[in-house]
Formats: sequence, C-alpha cells, structure tokens
Amino acid sequence: MPSRTLAIGRISLEVRQGIEFWLHGLIVLASIAVGLGISVLLLVVSGIDVSNIFEEFIVFTFFDSAGLADVLLEWAPLILVGLSAAVAFRVQFWNIGIEGQFVWGAIGATVVMIYDIGPSWIQIYLMFLGGIIGGMAWIAVPAFLRLRLQVNEIISTLLLNYVAALFVLNQLFGAWQDPAAVYYKTAQFAAYQRLPLIGWGQIHVGLFIALAAALIVWLVTERSRFGAYMKFVGSNPGMALASGIPVTLTILAAVMLSGSLSGLGGYLVASGQEYALTIYVAIGYGFSGIVIAFLSRNNPAAVVVVSFLMAGLYVGGESIQVFYGLPEALIGLIQSIIVICVVGSEFFVRYRVRWMR
Amino acid sequence: MAHALQMTDIVKSFDGRMALDRAEFAAEWGEVHGLLGENGAGKTSLMNVLCGLYRPDAGRMSIDGVEHRIEGPSHARALGIGMVHQHFKLVQPFTIAENVMLANPQTSWRKGIATVSEGIARLSDELGFEIDPAARIDRISVAEQQRVEIIKVLMGGARLLILDEPTSVLTDEEAARLLRTIQALARRGTCVILITHKLREVLAHADRVTVMRGGRTVATVDASSTSAPDLARMMVGDAPVDDTEPGQSGPVRLQISDLTARRDDGVSTVRGLSLTVCSGQIYGLAGVGGNGQTELAEVLMGVRAPEVGRIGLDGSDITALHPKRRRALGVRNVPADRSAYGLAQELSVGDNYASTRLGSGAFGTMAWVSRRTIGARANAALEDFEIQGATVDTSVRLLSGGNAQKLVLARELHGEPAVIVAHSPTHGLDVRACAAVHDHLRAARDAGAAVLLISEDLDEVLNLSDVVGVINRGAIVGELARPADRHRVGELMLGHA
Repeated sequence: MPSRTLAIGRISLEVRQGIEFWLHGLIVLASIAVGLGISVLLLVVSGIDVSNIFEEFIVFTFFDSAGLADVLLEWAPLILVGLSAAVAFRVQFWNIGIEGQFVWGAIGATVVMIYDIGPSWIQIYLMFLGGIIGGMAWIAVPAFLRLRLQVNEIISTLLLNYVAALFVLNQLFGAWQDPAAVYYKTAQFAAYQRLPLIGWGQIHVGLFIALAAALIVWLVTERSRFGAYMKFVGSNPGMALASGIPVTLTILAAVMLSGSLSGLGGYLVASGQEYALTIYVAIGYGFSGIVIAFLSRNNPAAVVVVSFLMAGLYVGGESIQVFYGLPEALIGLIQSIIVICVVGSEFFVRYRVRWMR
Repeated sequence: MAHALQMTDIVKSFDGRMALDRAEFAAEWGEVHGLLGENGAGKTSLMNVLCGLYRPDAGRMSIDGVEHRIEGPSHARALGIGMVHQHFKLVQPFTIAENVMLANPQTSWRKGIATVSEGIARLSDELGFEIDPAARIDRISVAEQQRVEIIKVLMGGARLLILDEPTSVLTDEEAARLLRTIQALARRGTCVILITHKLREVLAHADRVTVMRGGRTVATVDASSTSAPDLARMMVGDAPVDDTEPGQSGPVRLQISDLTARRDDGVSTVRGLSLTVCSGQIYGLAGVGGNGQTELAEVLMGVRAPEVGRIGLDGSDITALHPKRRRALGVRNVPADRSAYGLAQELSVGDNYASTRLGSGAFGTMAWVSRRTIGARANAALEDFEIQGATVDTSVRLLSGGNAQKLVLARELHGEPAVIVAHSPTHGLDVRACAAVHDHLRAARDAGAAVLLISEDLDEVLNLSDVVGVINRGAIVGELARPADRHRVGELMLGHA
C-alpha cells in the first residue's frame, strides 16, 4: 500500500489507519474546550465579566440547589430528544422533525385533557400513551414516504415541523383556546393530569421516565438483536440485506422508536412543566436533540451526559438573558460554535498532522 | 528506424503480485494499435505505466528513439502522451470548457474559457463531434462525455492517445462512430492505442494488435493477417489444468430458468439465462466482465428483483423470497464486491461473522444477543479458517483482502449450505489465500453443496469446475464438461463480442 500523505508547505498530512480510543476522546474534548473558549470570548465581547460568566454557568447552575433543580428539570426532555435523534441516526434516517413529533406528543397528552377521556385516575397514563402515539403518528408519514416512495426524509420531517407548529396555533386561536388566559394556550391541566413533583424545585417524575427511557434504549441498541440489526443497517444497508436482515422493518421500528421518544418529551413538558398546551411547548428542542445526538455519537449513554451539560448551558444562558438583557439566540450561537469545533476536530481524527523541518 | 513508442522489459508488482512481467510494447505514428487481453492480463497496468500513473519497478521506455524516465502524469503529458480512462475523470457540475481548462491550465479564467472554448469548437469540427463548450457535464450523455475526454487529452497536445475500453460504455452505433473517429485521428499522424477485449473491434479498426496474457506480451501481429480464433487462442493461452478429483454430482439443487434482469440504469444485462447446478458439483461460469455476471449474482442473493424467470432450489421456487428466507433454505453468497454486500467495514470481525445468523437466535435468545457467544464462536471461526493477525474485536476495515475473504467464507460456509454463489472469490488475493479459498469451495462441494462459481479468471474456472458454462451478453452460449477445452471456452467468451 502506498502511504497516503499530502504535503502543504511545511505541514504534512497522513491518513490514519486507526485511532486509539483515548486519543480520539482527547481530540474531541480539546475541540469542546476550544469551542467553550470562543464562546467565553463572545460573552466577554458582549460586555459580561469573565468572573460573572463563571458564576452564571458553573456556580449558579451546578452548585446551587435552585439552579441545579432547574438543570435537572430541563435535563429530562433533552435526554428524550437526544435519544430520539440518536436512534434515528443509527439507521441513517435523518430525523430533522423532532420538534414536530415533540409538539404532537404534547397534543396527544392535551387531547386527553380536552376531551376528558376516561376516569380521572387513569388520565395521566392515557396522556403518557397519547404522547407516544402523537410522536409516532407524526413520524409515520415521513417514514412511509421514505420507505415506500424514496422521498427524502430530511425535507419531509423538516417541513412537517412547520405543519405541527401551525396546527397548534390553529387550535390555540380556536377550539382549544382558554378564554380566561392572557396569552394563547389551552386551559390548565387538572391536578390529576399533572406529573407528580418529587419535592425539589419543579422537578417531577418525568426525570425518572427519561432516565428509564435512556436505560431501555441503551439495552435495545447495545444488547438486543434489534439493536444489532440497527448497527448493520446503519453501517452497510446492502450487506445487511444480503445477510438476510429485514432492513425495511428495522428502519421502520427504529424510526417509530425515535418518534415515540420525541412524543414522550412533549408529554413531559406539557404534563410536567407547562400544565397546558402552549405555542412555546417545543421551541428549540428539535435542534438541541440533533446537537446532543451528534456530540454523543449516537451513543445512548453519552446522550445522558451530553444532555445534562446542554441543560446547564440552557439554564445558565437563561439567567444571562434575564440579568444582562442578551438575546436568546446567544445560547444557540454557543451550541453552534461547540458543534462546529467538534465537526472540525474530525479532521484531526482522520489525519495525522506533522510539521516538517 | 526507431519506433514511435517502445517499452521494453516493463516490470510492475503490487503487494508481491506481478501485474507486469517483462512486458514489451511498440507502436508507430499514424496507426491504430489494439491492445488485447483478458481481465487482469496487464493491459491497463502497462498503459498506466506509460502515462505516468504507475512507476515501473524495472524497464525502459523510449519515444522516437529517445529514452525517457516518466516521472508522473504531467511529465507524460508534456511528452505528448494522453490517456482516456475507462472511468471518466470529469467534474460533474462543471461545464465542458471548465473541465478542459482544468486539465490544460490557462493564465486567466475569463480569457482562458474563451481560448479553450474556441479550441474545443475547432477540434470538434475536425473530428465531427458536436460539442457545446458551455454545456454541463452532468447534462450530457456518456458518449458525449467520452468525446470531451478525448478533446481534453488532444488539447493538451497528445500525439499518443490511449483509450481504455472506450466502447464498453457505448451503444453499438456510438461505438462504430467512435472507432471511425480514431481511425481519422490516426490518419492525421496520431498514434492511437486501443485497449480492449473485443476481438471484432480490433480486427475491423486496428492496424496492428498486441496481445497480452498474465502480465506478459504474447505477440504483436498485423490485424489484416490474423483471425478471431487465432487472437482468442493467444489471449487464453495453454495453461495446464490441475488434476484434482472431480466432484460426485447428485440431484439438481439450483435451477435457473429464463432469467432476465436489468442493471440500475435500466439496461437488461441478464437475458434469458438458464442453467442447473447439481449437488456435489462446481459449475464454473466463465465470461468477460460486464456480461451480466454482477446482476445474476445480485438476483441470486435476493437483492435485485428479476424481470422474468424462475429460480428453483431443490425443486421449490425461491424467485421472490427475501434473502432471509433464502438463507434459511441454505443459499449462501460470496459476493464479488465485499464492501457492498459482504462485510460492514466499520463493524468488528465478531459482528460481521454473526450477521447472517442473528435472526435464528444462534447468538443468544430471539430478543437478546450475547456478546460472549459471538466472541467465542467467531474466535473458533478465526482459528478454523486460519485468519491470522485479527481478533474478534478488530474492525473489518483493517483486515487484509485475504483475511476479509476468509471471514466471508467462514460465515457463508457455516452449517450445511445447499447452494453457494461465489462471485470472483479470489479477486485481488495472493496465491496462498487463493488456494485456501479454492480448498474451502471444493470441501463445500464434496459435502453436497451446489457451487456456482462466477469468475472472470479463466484459470480459476477451468481448475475448479466440474462443468463450465460460458456467459456472453447475459445468456449461456455454451456448456462444456470437465476437462473443458480452453480454446473453445475462449472463443465462446469472446465470440460475437
């Protein structure tokens, strides 16, 4: 084999044959550090003191009881959207429609409240099912289009986000509107339609639901036959088919799992945080899910960790918004900077860079 | 007088495998020179040496009697050597003029495009091409793309034009037109070297023909003084057939009737093919690449649906079955393109070994997979098939070709295969790995499997097969019992091609 090297001036690039696990991890961590560094610089330029940044993002978010409670509250739905993206991406189904499925999960839960389905004690469970069914229903359309008619799912899932958001608007300005409310939302959920609080800030049992979902998804992807099928389908669909693996069914099942996880996230926010269906229920979750899945390389265990850090970023960012009057977009910007840095680090994973003298 | 081009004693090896073994070649100005040989005979390697893509291990090369050491493609281009490769080197979304300019850099973009466009217009007038320099590559046909390649090379000042299998992508009409064009080019003094395995083209359009086999030059003859059977004989040679025991064939296991299948681009490449393979028999399907072998193998694997026809296994119809069901009935595949159908490159040896039998619950229960069971079974397979230097956790990407192929065999030959479809099972392997693959296939045959060996390597087919079938243009054109007459097989392979 000829050694594949490329020289650019004094820099020589060499294609790596393989990479040690620790070196790979080190490169990714270094790139995140670079991203955080750039973000800090950005905040400093926006007029925030370095020591204040440290306080807002580290001390008041992770080492303060109220702050940590906020982080944990935010953590639960982020775990679910991260898992949702990871599961779909594992079979090369690019689900950009997490936000729409999330909205439909919230709708599924809300429907139980609006139509007062079943006896009161069972409604919180029906809402759970409603969330899952809502999310699955919303991803079923692009899944069908992709698997039957080869319609690109990136476009169909993306566009269905807007359809979902507009549908919610339509309902909130119409049939489902709470006449007593000051802004557009449904009536408040009754006490028995809410997820029970655990007695620390606003944290509710949804956190345990999310962590249990992460454990189940981990078991499925890493230990089950279906998870093994997903690996082959994601790695080489042609080979998977020739090996006798039911490729279409595997993709369909993974995609439905993805939709149900997003829908579950919508249920958590509607029944655990907002206690109503509002137009803000899903904002930002879809793309956060994609970012989390990307940063954790579609690994469910890593999703749990990354989404925790992402929740911290949200909570810290919120207080910066409140106290310094900086725009909400700043959090998205920091997310993007970190993602771009990690994407860029891929270069150092693929190539060995050497200085020549 | 010195030859226009002379190449002497050219040697080139890859990983210890001789691609060129003291090959000779000489050509003159103003002739169309056919370079003929089977797949792997060394035609393309020799021309890649000439145009600077490969650096030979040994050998001399001279143009008009002046010796040159070609340092690289740009050096070759400066000497007036230009090659049109079988797979075009064009940038899809760019225009024709931009592509030509990429190969022939100009000092300024805007002026360069104008100059190049003018040159293209002039040349295409002379050659009778109709080419619009502003058209985008992805909007023009394959035949037109080829014309662009030729113009690109000629604009670079090539006096020595090499065309690698130029007609393989063309319809008959387009091919005839191209061959007339290159004859016209030769009349203007260009030396055109036509790499091909189509006898008819060479006989009709070349002035002289050089035949290669196994990396060596067999002979150079005048096209007017030779015949198709002579050329076929030179191409296939007289290698001795080995004398291993033939198989004891039993009842019919695989029966293919009137099979027709299309390639992805809609062209029917398998056209009414029928054959039967018995238990304990190796049926060798010989043929020049591109005559429907790939699509046949895909149809048998179950990844391509046939247009018409029936595939029977032990009497039952499996034509419409999912690969999973076929495997359950004992159909196994050794695909030609390992990276497409054989192995998942990014996954481990253990995972790849387990892939085909996960569905039966062989590695754990129906719901769960036991990593430990996979590890243990894969480890045993590594030992049985002598796959050295790899563990069950090694990524398949890092395996050598021989080890990767042995891994495929270890997986596919497990249990009691009923039918094994082996497509080019030794392509790119070294001698030892080749022998191991052959031994495994013979052992499977002796255990009662029906083996369909699809190969472009004639020696392999003749050595291994109990029955030799020849595929040409998607159908069986002849079947010969062992020992099959090499020359007859060669004629059938190359006939009316």
